[in-house]
Parts: sequence; C-alpha cells; structure tokens
Amino acid sequence: MILRRLAAYLKPHRKTLLLAFLLLLCGTSAEVWTPKMVQIFIDDYLTPRNFDVNALTWLGAGFLLLHVAAAGFNYFQLVMFNKIAQWVVQQLRIDVFGKVQHLGLEFFDRTPAGSLVSRITNDTEAVKELFVSVLSTFLQNTVFLIGCFLMMFSLDVKLASYCLLFMPVVIGIMWLYRYFSTKIYHITREKLSQLNAKLNESISGMNIIQAFRQEARLRKDFAETNHEHYTANVRNIRLNGLLLRPIMDMMYLLALVLILYFFGKQSLSTSVEVGVIYAFINYIERFFQPVIQMMLRLSQMQQALVSAERVFVLLDDERMAPTQQGAENPEVGDGLIEFRDVSFSYDGQTDVLKNISFTAKPGQTVALVGHTGSGKSSIINLLMRFYPQYRGEIRIDGASLREFADEELRKKVGLVLQDPFLFVGDVKGNIRLANDGITDEQIVEAAKFVQADGFIQKLPQGYEEPVVERGATFSSGQRQLLSFARTMALNPKVLVLDEATASVDTETEEAIQAALEKMRQGRTTIAIAHRLSTIQDADLILVLHRGEIVERGTHQELLASQGLYHKMYLLQQGGVAS
Amino acid sequence: MKIFLDLLWFFRQEKRAYLIGVGTLLIVAMLEMIPPYVVGVVVDGVKDQTLTMSTLLKWTGTIVGVAVVVYGLRYLWRIFLFGASSRLARLLRNRLYEHFTEMSPQFFHQRRTGDLMAHATNDISAIELTAGDGVLTLVDSLSLGGIVVLTMATTISWKLTLFALLPMPIMAWATSRYGNMLHERFHAAQEAFSTINDKVQENISGVRVVKAFGQEEAEKADFARLSQDVVQKNIRVAKIDALFDPTILLVVGCSYFLSVAIGARYVLHGEITIGELTQFTILLGHLIWPMLAFGWLFNIVERGRASYDRVDALLNIKATVVSQEGASVDIPSGELRYEIEQFVYPEKETPALRDIHIQLPQGQTLGIVGKTGAGKTTLLKLWLREFDVAQGDLKIGGTSIYDTTLSSLRSAVGYVPQDHFLFSATIAENIAFGRPDATQAEIEEAAKLACIHEDILHFSEGYNTLVGERGVTLSGGQKQRISIARALLLNPEVLILDDSLSAVDAKTEKAILDALQANRQNKTTLISAHRLSAIEHAEQIVVLEEGAIVERGTHEDLMNVDGWYATMYQRQQLESLVAQGGGADDSEETRRLSQATS
Repeated sequence: MILRRLAAYLKPHRKTLLLAFLLLLCGTSAEVWTPKMVQIFIDDYLTPRNFDVNALTWLGAGFLLLHVAAAGFNYFQLVMFNKIAQWVVQQLRIDVFGKVQHLGLEFFDRTPAGSLVSRITNDTEAVKELFVSVLSTFLQNTVFLIGCFLMMFSLDVKLASYCLLFMPVVIGIMWLYRYFSTKIYHITREKLSQLNAKLNESISGMNIIQAFRQEARLRKDFAETNHEHYTANVRNIRLNGLLLRPIMDMMYLLALVLILYFFGKQSLSTSVEVGVIYAFINYIERFFQPVIQMMLRLSQMQQALVSAERVFVLLDDERMAPTQQGAENPEVGDGLIEFRDVSFSYDGQTDVLKNISFTAKPGQTVALVGHTGSGKSSIINLLMRFYPQYRGEIRIDGASLREFADEELRKKVGLVLQDPFLFVGDVKGNIRLANDGITDEQIVEAAKFVQADGFIQKLPQGYEEPVVERGATFSSGQRQLLSFARTMALNPKVLVLDEATASVDTETEEAIQAALEKMRQGRTTIAIAHRLSTIQDADLILVLHRGEIVERGTHQELLASQGLYHKMYLLQQGGVAS
Repeated sequence: MKIFLDLLWFFRQEKRAYLIGVGTLLIVAMLEMIPPYVVGVVVDGVKDQTLTMSTLLKWTGTIVGVAVVVYGLRYLWRIFLFGASSRLARLLRNRLYEHFTEMSPQFFHQRRTGDLMAHATNDISAIELTAGDGVLTLVDSLSLGGIVVLTMATTISWKLTLFALLPMPIMAWATSRYGNMLHERFHAAQEAFSTINDKVQENISGVRVVKAFGQEEAEKADFARLSQDVVQKNIRVAKIDALFDPTILLVVGCSYFLSVAIGARYVLHGEITIGELTQFTILLGHLIWPMLAFGWLFNIVERGRASYDRVDALLNIKATVVSQEGASVDIPSGELRYEIEQFVYPEKETPALRDIHIQLPQGQTLGIVGKTGAGKTTLLKLWLREFDVAQGDLKIGGTSIYDTTLSSLRSAVGYVPQDHFLFSATIAENIAFGRPDATQAEIEEAAKLACIHEDILHFSEGYNTLVGERGVTLSGGQKQRISIARALLLNPEVLILDDSLSAVDAKTEKAILDALQANRQNKTTLISAHRLSAIEHAEQIVVLEEGAIVERGTHEDLMNVDGWYATMYQRQQLESLVAQGGGADDSEETRRLSQATS
C-alpha cells in the first residue's frame, strides 16, 4: 500500500525513469562484457598464439571503449535516478506542507509542533533515502547481478547453474541479516535518541541540576544510558562482523573453490579453455560487492518505510480548515457583526461557549472581559473562522460567516494577536507579508498610523532592518506595534483584537494605547480587553464567565446596574480620594 | 595524521585491543595472498594438463581452510578495533557530560544548546570514526596494499606490477578530490535543508498569523521555492557522488587493460605463465580497496582532527564559579544580608544592581517587586552563585557565601525558577529531584503544600504520570506548583520563589502562601512577583527600578506613600476584579473592596 502510493509519485517522471533505466541497462551490459572480452583474448589469441594485429587492436580499443562507455552510462544513470528521487521527495514535501497549510486549528491544537516539523522534513528526508537506495542501489545491483549470471551462462551452463546455487544461500544470509539488523538497528537508534534527549534536557536544565546539587546522580544516569548505547553498538558490530562483509568474503572464496574444482576436474578428462576460467573468476569476484551494498541498505529501507507511513497518515488527515460554503460570495460592507445563540466545543463534549448572542453595529467596539478560560478567545477564534463546528449563527453584514470566501474574510477582518508573531525577514516584509498589492508608501503610512514609524526610523537600516527568528531583537512593545502596522496595512473593516497583557515600558505603552484608539476609529472592533481604557471606551461590554455572558451593557449601563461595574466605579473613587 | 598522535593516550589505554586488532589485520592481509596464488597454480595445471585429482583437492582444500580462518579473524579484528573506537566515543561522551555539569551558567549563556549537542554527537562520531575506520584504513591500505604489491612484484613480475599500478594514483587522487568537493557541496545541501526546517518551524509556530492573514498560498510558494533550492543543492551533491563508481570502474579497467595487454607479451616471451597472469589480475582486484581507502583516509582524518580539536577546546574551558580554597563545608544558616555596591554582568557595562543593602532576620520573608528588567531575578539568583558579585558581599548568618563551598551553599538554598523547567520523568521523580530517596509520603506532603496534590491525583497514573513530550501536558500553573513542591521537599534554609506564582489563580496563590507561612517557621523566604498579592504579607518589601531600591517597607508603609507600589496595587485590584468577571466565587474579594471603599 505504502509502496504503491510512493510509486504513484514516480508517474510524472515516467519518461526520465525509462531513459535512466535504459542507461542503466547499457552501462551494465558494457560492464559485464569486459571480462568476456578478456576471455576471448586469452582463448582465441593468447593461448593459440594467434596475433592478428588488426583484430587485437580492435579488441583492445573495444575493451577500453566499453569501459569508457560503461563509466559514462553509469554516471548519467546514477545522476538521473538521484534526480528523480529528489523530485519525487520534493513533490511529497510540497504536498505534505501544502496539506498542513489547509488543516484546521483543531489539528494544530493537538499535534506537538516538534513532531509536525519532523514529519515534514526528517521523515520525507528518510523517504528520499528509500528512493535513492531502491532506485540506484537495488535496481542497479539487481540488473548487474542478472547481467553477471547471463554472461556466466553464456560461458558454461553447468557451472553457471552450480553458481546459481549460491543465490539461495546469499538470500538466506540477507534475510537473516535483515531479521537481526532491523531489531538491533532499532535499539541502537532508540538508545542514541535517548542519549541525545538526556543530553539536551541536561543542557537546558543545568541551572536546576546545579541548584539541586544533582550533578553526580545525573552523571551516573547519563553514563548508564551511554553504556547501554555502547552495548547496542557492540552488538551491531558483532552482527556486521558475523553476517556482513566477512561472510560474503568467505562465500566468494567458496565460490572460487567451486570454479577451480569444476574446471580442474574437467581438465582431468578434457581440455579446458583458460580464458573461461579467467572470466568466471572475474564475474564471481564482482558478484559479491553489490550484494553487500544491498544488505547495508536494508535496515535503512525499513526505517524509510516507517517514515513514509507517517507522512501518508498526515496527508490523509481530515481535520481540514473551514472553507467557504455556497457560491454566494458575500462582501464585508459596513461591518455589522451578529452572534446568534452560538455554542461551541473544541472536543465535542464540553461546551466552552454557551448560547452567546450579541450584535456589534458598524463602527462599534465590543469588549470581552472575563477570566482565562471564560471563553473570550473562543469567540475570537470563531469569528476568525478558525473552527467550523459551532452551533448557532454568526453573521457579518447579514450573511453567514460560513459563506464568505477566504480572501474576502482575511482582507476585511483584521486580527491582532496577543503574541505578535514576527517572521524572519525584514521589517517591511513583516508588515506587507505576501500581499504584493501593498506599496512601500502604504507600509510607511500604516507604520505612521500606529506610531511604529518612530522607532523603525531609528533602526540602523530602517524599514529594511532584518528580523531574526521570532523577532527576538525587538522589545515586546515594538513587536506589538509592528503587528498593528501589519494589520492596518490591509485597512480592514473589522478589527479583532487580542490585547496583550505583557508589561511594556511606559513610553511604548502610551504609543500602543494611542495606536489602539486610532485603529478602532470607524471600524467594528471585537476586543479581548485588558486595558481599562479599551474597556471604558467600548460601546458594549460583555462580561464572560464559564462560557456564558453574565453581564452586558455600556459603561454607563453597567455602572448603573449596581453590579460589578458599580463596585469598580466606587473603588476608583475611593482610590482617588485616599 | 596528527590526530593519531593526539589519540595516543587512548591507544595506550586500549593497547591490547589495538595490538590484537592490528595484528589480526596483518595476518588476514597475508592469508589473502594464498587464494590468488592457488588460482595461478591451478590455472597453469589446467592449461598444461598436469593437474591430478589429489593436487586439485589439496589446493581447493587450502582455500576452504583459508576462507574459514579469515572469516574468524575478520570477525575478531572488527570486535577489537570497532569495539575500542566505540569505547572511545563512550568515554568522550561521558567526559563532555561531566564537564557540562561543572560549567557555570555563563558557559551555557554564551553557547547555543544546538551547538553543544553537535559537539557531543557529530564531533564524537567523527572521532570515533577516526579511531575505528581511520586506524583500519591506515593499517589496511598500508599493509594489504604493501603485501599485494610486494607479492605481485616478487612472485610474478615487478615490471608488470609497475605498469598495472600506473593508473592507480589517479584513482586515489580523484577520489580524495571528489571527497573534498563532496564535503563542500554536502555542507551547502545540509544548510539548505536546515533552512526549510526553520521555515516549517516558523510556519507552524505562526499558524494563527498565517491563517488570519490568508498567507497559506504565499507560504506554500515560499516553501516550494526553498525546497527547489534543496533539490538543486542535492543534485549538485549527486553529481559528485555519482563520479566515484564510474571513476573507479574506469581506472581499474585501465589497470586491467595494461596488465592483460602487457602481461600477454610476457606470457609470449615466457617470462610468466597464463596462470600467473590470472593470479595477477585477481591480486589487482585486491588493490582497489586499499587505494580507495587511502583517498578516504584523508577525509576521515581531516574531519576527525577538526572534531577532536573542538571537543578538546571545550573540555579545557574552566568553570568561572568555583568553591574557594578553604571554604567552609557547614551548611549556612541565619540572617541574610545583601551588601552590594554594584553588580555588573560579565561583558556588560551598565550595572544590573546598584547599592543594595538589605538585612533580613532568619524566619522572615522578603518581597521583591518592580518592572520587568528591574533586576528582581538577578537579585535572587546571586544566592545560587550562578554569577559572583565583585563589589560587595552576600552573607548568611554573618558568613560570606563566597567562604562556603558551592555545594553547602546550594543545599541551604531552595530555588523555584521563573521558567518552570521539569524533566521528562514521572511527577514523583520531578518532585523528588533534589532528594531522590524521599518517601512517597514526603513527596505527597510537599505536593499538598504546593496545592498540586489534587491535580496529580486526577491524572490517569497519579504520581507516576510522565511529564514532557511523551507524557501528560501540564498547564503553566501546574508546572509552577510542581517546581514549588520540588523546592519545598528539601525544606531549605532559604527558599527563593522567582515570580513562581504568576500562573496560579488568586485562591491557590493564597493557599500556597498560607502553607508556606505555617510550615516555614524560622526559615527565610525570598519572593519576587509581578502580582503584588504574592508579597503583600512579607515583613520587608523592596521595589526595584533599574537595579536600585526605590521604595522599601511593609505593605502598609508602602501603601501610605504615593509611589509605584501603591499605584500598582490599586491598578491590580481593579484589574483582578475585571478579570474575574461577575461570578459568585469572588464575593469575598468584592466584599473586602466594598468595605475598603465605604
């Protein structure tokens, strides 16, 4: 099944594959012909002392030419098979990466990032080894072996049949080797990864180890795993010593004995052509090298098949990201947002949102307040259409959220995340992302609008300043301003805001406050609010508790209701008074 | 070849293994000369029809004997040589690990984990390869090559040997050259691969941004471009890699051609027999490997040497924080004193702490607050001696911590870090990390104090639940409480909580603080926090700003000053009220607030 799916990836390269195979056949035939030519030379010219200069020149030139041809064919054949393997794996990689792009967030919530990365890169890399070894090593060596046998049969059918008897033995040894090596290989890999995991963990947690004075214990612990790895390694060396090259070398000598005995015995009764002995010895000598090469690849192949399976499991995952339903193509106009009786559960069991209903009129700000886990983030996740399986109805300008095209939604509904994620690249690229429609002027404009222009201008390279992994060279406040600019460059109609709680210095905090206020102007805003200023300015405040709206109203209404807001107000008065 | 000198200490240490291994290799090389000789004799016998059944049996029997003996010997040298090189890898790995455990934090700050890992894996592999395959190829190519050439030259024809060997140096030269080119291109391919690795990593970490801005297609295009680059770089590798086999084929072909063509002349002139010619070509076949090996040897040795130098350099780094000579081994106890003029991190200019003088009687609690980056963690970590203060001193019970051994000091201090780091082990093992011999009852007692006992019981395997990638995923608050339990189990003289309550809710925070007060009579506690409720109860509170103390006193003292503390406290009260929503369970707090304001 896995092999068939992998083979399907070869289809687009059928022609190249065929050509490569032809080259392989040509190269191998040229290669297997050369000992035969020496045999002809010995038996037809050297032994009878027949020195036809012309014929010998031809023979010599032919011999060299065949070598050059074999070398040439083999070179191109090897490169071509490798190219095919590379292309196939590239396609597989692009497929699996593309697939992951369209998986829903529920998938990402449940899959550790590390294992996902390793699936897309390391596992596909292992599959590459499979293709390289299968295509190059196995195909080539098999063809070579068949060629050798054909030549041997053409020289002496009986002896060739005897030599064929070695095949079951060789295959038996291969099978034995594979049987044991897969296990040992597995253990060695396992031990090595344990060793590396321990090392990695100890390096990261060294301050804890030292603070708790556990150096000696962990050293002992590490030494134990290290020793287990050594033991596994020695077993591997033993196995290779018993069943790999030494045994194949012994088989070669035994085959040599067979040939010598056969011809020697024959020579007792009839005369034997010496050239044939030469050729046979030569073929047998060449026979065992490819076998060893194939054996070395076996355990690697096994590993690659496991990797391939994991990749296919990922390719078959059905937790897709929600996409447009119907062909209505509604547009986001003024930005009227309605939640009607929306309930939602991540796992299909416990509802994290229960019957949420509210309306945000165009240009209004709705502030969501409440505990961690009260459902604030879920409301935002639903509005961004990250999760499809909600009950009830969410509408933007009268059309169901489900009916919008992805592009329309992503352009008109702008999200500002709590953890402003920056990409490796430069400042400009981080504001523009891949939206080529945004000009440099618009980028600067957006940056000015959110008051990020000031600090960007002060950077040594301004808008071209490089951004390293996760934007580590910028302060958290600067990262937030950059992510504001990114959102504003799109000029969205609806703003979805997940305010950061991270504390920043006063100056940046003021810039952020001012930027947020400007951004909200003229846009419908749904905000997870932490800043009192955002909350107080909101047209509607929803107080969430365990997935339900427990209080709602404007700032004034809530103050009048004698509830939470009233108490807050009192407290503030008191604070000022004291 | 200097690497073999560098490794001399190890060869001496493993004298027996190397002597037996190399000796066996030499014997094998000599035994291997027998079968070609037999072939020569038999072929001549066949040609001259002088062969008898008994001689044939004698000769073929000889080869069978050689085959079996060589098989055994080949197995032997592998065990000895490769076994020894595996032991070298084990030894170096242990040494590196032990060295890491002695290094100061500065060492780890200056280096990336990935680089340190690479030294312990790739570099050690390269050294292992040198001590195993490197020694093998050196001995094998010299001995086998030498014996083969000697046999060919002395028993058959030295002239023919010379001709046959003519093309061989080309092979050694070419393969070594390919090796270098391959190394370079392989490096480029590896880099391209790690670029796509980074790309995927970034894409997955930023999945929300990618989706929110509809970047999926752009990301796919970008990834396709990068993986195209990987393909190109790998094909460049393949183009060199594919050169090896055909080159060997060609050079060996030339060698065969020369030996058969020129050998035929010698046969005609009666200088050698046809059997000897056949024997000669078989011996020629035996030369391919030593020649190849010689080219290969340079690559192994080159890499082994670079790796050995790197590992050696790493092992020679001295720890910056060590116990002073004559330091006391008594576990310190008593009042804590900060007497710091200033503290500057190595390679930094602005001081991280300035003019810190605090006296904290035994049994009291010190609260440290201030903005991010104000120096709270620095102030706390000085007790762990991750860095040493040059201008000033820290004292426990009147004795400078620098006059106490590192080990004694660390056994007096229990530390709960900001970034709650847990090990991939069971929860029980994590709590008992500092005292692996603790009983289950003691572990549970510590867990109860840290208010994590109930949570643990809810896990499928209770205290035996695994933590980390292969185990249960813990919330930040749970991790924090396990780290607290881990420190509490030691019942340390000084307990340090470095913003360790940030991820637990207000009720749990209060429960933990109450438990601490009840259980740590006469023991000193240092707490830093963003949330002021965590240090409200402390006997002394200091507010840090840019490394200096700007406010100090008790909670009441500080509330009466119109400073950072009072403002922050008011604001946090408001925010916590908002954050808690209108639920019924915060009634106590609202009542308190109402009372405060009415």
